[in-house]
Amino acid sequence: MRKVAWVAWIIYIFGILYFVLPLFGTFIFSLQKSRGVLSLSAYQSAFADPKFLETFLFSNVMAVCTIIVSLLLVVPTAYWVQLRVPSWRPAVEFVTLLPFVIPAIVLVFGLIKTFGRPVTIFGVPVFPALTTSALSTDFLLVMAYVVLSLPYMYRAVDNGLRAMDVRVLTEAAQSLGAGWGTILWRIIIPNLRSALLSGALLTFAIVVGELTIATFLARPAFGPYLALLGNHKAYEPAALTIISFALTWLAMGLIDLVTRGSKRGPLTGAH
Amino acid sequence: MAFLELTNVRKVFPNAQTPAVEDFNLNVNAGEFVSFLGPSGCGKTTTLRMIAGFETATSGSIVMDGRDITPIRPNQRNIGMVFQSYALFPNMNVADNIGFGLKVGGKSKPEIKERVGEMLALIKLEELGNRYPYQLSGGQQQRVALARAIAIRPQLLLLDEPLSALDAKIRLSLRNEIRSIQRQLGITTVYVTHDQEEALSLSDRVVVMNRGLIEQVGPPFEIYNFPTTEFVASFVGTLNLLKVKVIDPATGAIQVDGQTFFTGRPLVNHAAGETAQIALRPGIVQSRQHGARR
Ligand SMILES: Nc1ncnc2c1ncn2[C@@H]1O[C@H](COP(=O)(O)OP(=O)(O)O)[C@@H](O)[C@H]1O
Ligand SMILES: [Mg+2]
Repeated sequence: MRKVAWVAWIIYIFGILYFVLPLFGTFIFSLQKSRGVLSLSAYQSAFADPKFLETFLFSNVMAVCTIIVSLLLVVPTAYWVQLRVPSWRPAVEFVTLLPFVIPAIVLVFGLIKTFGRPVTIFGVPVFPALTTSALSTDFLLVMAYVVLSLPYMYRAVDNGLRAMDVRVLTEAAQSLGAGWGTILWRIIIPNLRSALLSGALLTFAIVVGELTIATFLARPAFGPYLALLGNHKAYEPAALTIISFALTWLAMGLIDLVTRGSKRGPLTGAH
Repeated sequence: MAFLELTNVRKVFPNAQTPAVEDFNLNVNAGEFVSFLGPSGCGKTTTLRMIAGFETATSGSIVMDGRDITPIRPNQRNIGMVFQSYALFPNMNVADNIGFGLKVGGKSKPEIKERVGEMLALIKLEELGNRYPYQLSGGQQQRVALARAIAIRPQLLLLDEPLSALDAKIRLSLRNEIRSIQRQLGITTVYVTHDQEEALSLSDRVVVMNRGLIEQVGPPFEIYNFPTTEFVASFVGTLNLLKVKVIDPATGAIQVDGQTFFTGRPLVNHAAGETAQIALRPGIVQSRQHGARR
């Protein structure tokens, strides 16, 4: 018993060191821009570059758009699968996991190849090339991000749905006269609050740091900026890494706060 | 004309070998309290869900208030429903749960408030309007669910094993409360249960079901004392089944172990000398000093 506890503690501490040491090293490094003293000058210089704010803002806008599209796509789909065709769940789950199997580089080349020229179906033009203007490329970028966020978003929503008795709640609402819109908006979504939030925050974290797709679609996103900065500067990328870690942790703290706040007893009573 | 008429209703689920419900014919009168009673899996819930509109009958018709409701969507039927698992909306407090149907129906705020107050008084939970479902006991939750279902003044109230998740003591008191509220409002009610005591004590009429078929329909007294099938006889109440020899069908005379008894009713479909089976309820046998007349 005691021996096992000892081993567990050692593994635990080793794990923490493995995770924390590089981060701590990066943090110390980011403070050493001025020779001989610890200072925040790397942070000052990172913030001073207008490109920082520009790309960070761009990526935030993309993230918000991605979250909106992803929610609109995933919530009704997962709800419908759970309610009407639960036997499809494994298939749908498999589709949502594809981004783990298909590398982002493959996805982005597929997108460029498909949407980089006017799209036709049997020779009939459907819509023009999407890579010709900034706005339509951003649209393509958001769509690609929606795909990347699917595994996280679908899982979060699906878990949230499983925590309530979707079918009985739906039927109770229907018997009271509610239509689909009312059911989704007044009952399903409010009870999914913490699931939606965690899905949204994960999506946010992915989009803001994403490199491959933004690079190949040549959009001024935060990921490519960070990579570029790393090529010719030493301390600033370290500072930015620490900042993005801090943002992620803030996000995770928010998730924790919200989930804890909504931990209520049995959702629909005994079964 | 009955208020609710089910005619030749049949339901076969996709990929199922046997129908879940078959040959279902039943007329329910306005204001009547009818129970579906039967073992688990006999098709009670399926029948109830077809009335509510959550399942579509494979064939047959369901007519409510003179109107075929088969093509009407469940949210347009104005039928109240109470579920075994209460199904209260966890994100709303008691008052909002009760008022949900009224709000969806476009009622004004003061109107909703008044009706919710009435309902809270009806279920004797006036103080708990601001509580959330998770802050209530099972019995309280089910009362709120009942209030929510009747707040919209439905034409028909359906209850699917509403007491099964509760413990025995609350089950008994809530059972009486449901019945008294039903009487007070005069609302036509269909009540599903596998508990014979519930069905017999609550209902104007009981529909005994087995394997998707109706075995017998009748008032509790008839179901209990004059079961028409062996299934009903054995499912309802405690029974002692005895093999007897029929002596005289006209007077109801039978012989058990060389002793002659009288059933008190003529025995139709039996001839003298035939072996038959009788079902005895405990408590109905009387013994006398002289002679053994029933
Ligand atoms: N959605 C469904 N799909 C397939 N079979 C079902 C479905 N719902 C119920 N059944 C079957 O129909 C029969 C009747 O079920 P049900 O009406 O729920 O019985 P009860 O409520 O009397 O316990 C059972 O054999 C059950 O397995
Ligand atoms: Mg049932």
